[in-house]
Amino acid sequence: MSSDITAMPAPAADAGKSPERLLAERTRRLEDAYALRRPDRIPIFMGASYFLAQWGGITHQRLLEDHDMRQRLLERAALHFQPDSIFGVFNDPGAALALGDRMTKWPGHGLPATGSFQFAEHEFMTADDYDAFLRDPSDWAVRSYLPRAFEKLEGLALLPPLAMAAFGTYNLLNLGVLASPPVATALQAIVAAGEEQAAADARMAESMRRLAELGFAPPPLAGALIEAPFDFMSDTLRGMRGIMLDIMRRPEQLLAAEQRVLDYQIEHAVAFAGATGLRRAFIPLHRGSDGFMSLAHFERFYWPQLKEMLLRLVAADITPVVFYEGVWNERLGYLAELPRGKTIGYFQGGDIVKIKQVLGGTMCIMGGMRNSLLQTGTVEAVRETTRKVCEVAGDGGGFVMTTGIGEMEGCRTELVEAWVRATHEFGGG
Amino acid sequence: MSDALVEAIADMRDEEAISLAQRLLDGGTPPLDVLEDCRAAMTIVGRRFEDREYFIPELILAGETLRSISEIVKPRLTGSGRGAKSGRIVLGTVQGDIHDIGKDIVSFMLDVNGFEVFDLGVDVPPESFVESVRETRSGIVALSGFLTLSFDSMRETVDALEKAGLRAGVKVMIGGGTVDDNVREYARADAYGATATDAVNLARRWTAEAAGKAPAQPATARTKETAK
Repeated sequence: MSSDITAMPAPAADAGKSPERLLAERTRRLEDAYALRRPDRIPIFMGASYFLAQWGGITHQRLLEDHDMRQRLLERAALHFQPDSIFGVFNDPGAALALGDRMTKWPGHGLPATGSFQFAEHEFMTADDYDAFLRDPSDWAVRSYLPRAFEKLEGLALLPPLAMAAFGTYNLLNLGVLASPPVATALQAIVAAGEEQAAADARMAESMRRLAELGFAPPPLAGALIEAPFDFMSDTLRGMRGIMLDIMRRPEQLLAAEQRVLDYQIEHAVAFAGATGLRRAFIPLHRGSDGFMSLAHFERFYWPQLKEMLLRLVAADITPVVFYEGVWNERLGYLAELPRGKTIGYFQGGDIVKIKQVLGGTMCIMGGMRNSLLQTGTVEAVRETTRKVCEVAGDGGGFVMTTGIGEMEGCRTELVEAWVRATHEFGGG
Repeated sequence: MSDALVEAIADMRDEEAISLAQRLLDGGTPPLDVLEDCRAAMTIVGRRFEDREYFIPELILAGETLRSISEIVKPRLTGSGRGAKSGRIVLGTVQGDIHDIGKDIVSFMLDVNGFEVFDLGVDVPPESFVESVRETRSGIVALSGFLTLSFDSMRETVDALEKAGLRAGVKVMIGGGTVDDNVREYARADAYGATATDAVNLARRWTAEAAGKAPAQPATARTKETAK
């Protein structure tokens, strides 16, 4: 960031307020929107991520790995742009690198230092694995899946069946294998990955504490990460080609597997909320949007399982924050079946007028600004779009302004400034 | 022509289609005829996809069926079985991006609609597009991208075509999850398409224009093109 950057003028209503007061007001503003109430003005959330690197003139790799620099940039961006809430980096590469993760590529590790994190889908689970998966998902995950998906965990394939652990002292006779080089390597890698992740978690908590101290509300996405049962089977297991063939060739097995992953993800989300006090679950959706499958398939393989997941979370007093990736224009009617005010819908794209019309009474809507406009547009176009979005989506409350994709890589500083300023101006502040 | 084979493929009865193809070949049906049935079936699949009756599961299953039948047919083939194609298109996901779903669907749809597609894969650097356009003398370049970083890569690819002196001779279309008309303008592409059907319509129109004919059909409302 160049030294000539000065903070944007604060909204008049915020002038002279202490960070404590701003934190309380911003938190309230977001909570009002989540609960479908009308806030004092439309809250705005920035999921900055790699935008911080370009703003600060450093590579993506450095943003991920120089933690002090990253925190400084995040704080300066918060103070400069003055959103109600801001988010830095979703996760650090430490644990993935420690395990030799084959499904992710990181800047400086498999990508140029200026590259962007990518998820590379594989068919780690074959069609023939369904029987073993359904018989005992835990054993299959540890002894078959992990060795395929993580280079350093190949040794886990040598373990005896996990249920042998219930054989008590007699199973100790089987433990010699733990000292064999491949298994020992795997176990050490697991400890190293755990330490990396624990350090990343601590940094995240400290980062949120620092931002709160500066007067910024916690980001809406903090909570357990889980997936729609269909996406869980697709993303990290069968891959897109595999899962689409499963719809056609082995529907019953796919449905049975979805039920299993639904149950244990709920168990995880409830335990996570209990342990951390974070009563939200972040659910990014990948294959349910318009265009991937027909409505008939959606009604059989995607929506019932997702709906059950959302209802069970709500019953456990957890608020699902659902990222509707892609365009959901044809499927909004299904989402209207959800209980009022109990879920938050973060929409990447689609028709915001229609989204508000169909879902305005059902859920808080997040989104509204296309990343492409902040990357390629003009100040005038950004102001005009922001005005319209505030008018339509902000009507009656229940709306959080943010970019369709949280990752704001490539957005231009003057356009981001214009966007935040226009949201303050047209958002009723 | 075996209507039974065409229908089995088009109606997603994959196992039946494969054994039927085997029986036809064993019974003396010329391998090129079986391939012609496959082509006819894939045209139906493509049409049902355009009509939003079929989606990705059906496209992938049809592709698998076709692959299995091709494997049976290939050893019996002598000479080329490819018919004349109507136009050449260089296609790829731009540099820095490895997403392939949208690109593969566009590739499939262009192929079943009679275009000769040179699919360069994913994370394709600008110079590879340039090289391929030069080598294949393609008149159309289709750029795909999903990450927002792809906007810059698309622009760099168009720049590279220009620097190589090839820009005037090609039409460039772009598409992908986060791509829209803002990006078309930014990258200085000729058109943006939201769907694979848009890509086919654009390719048809550009090919017809290049051949000096009237456009076969107008672009859909979702397709925007630079005024020339």
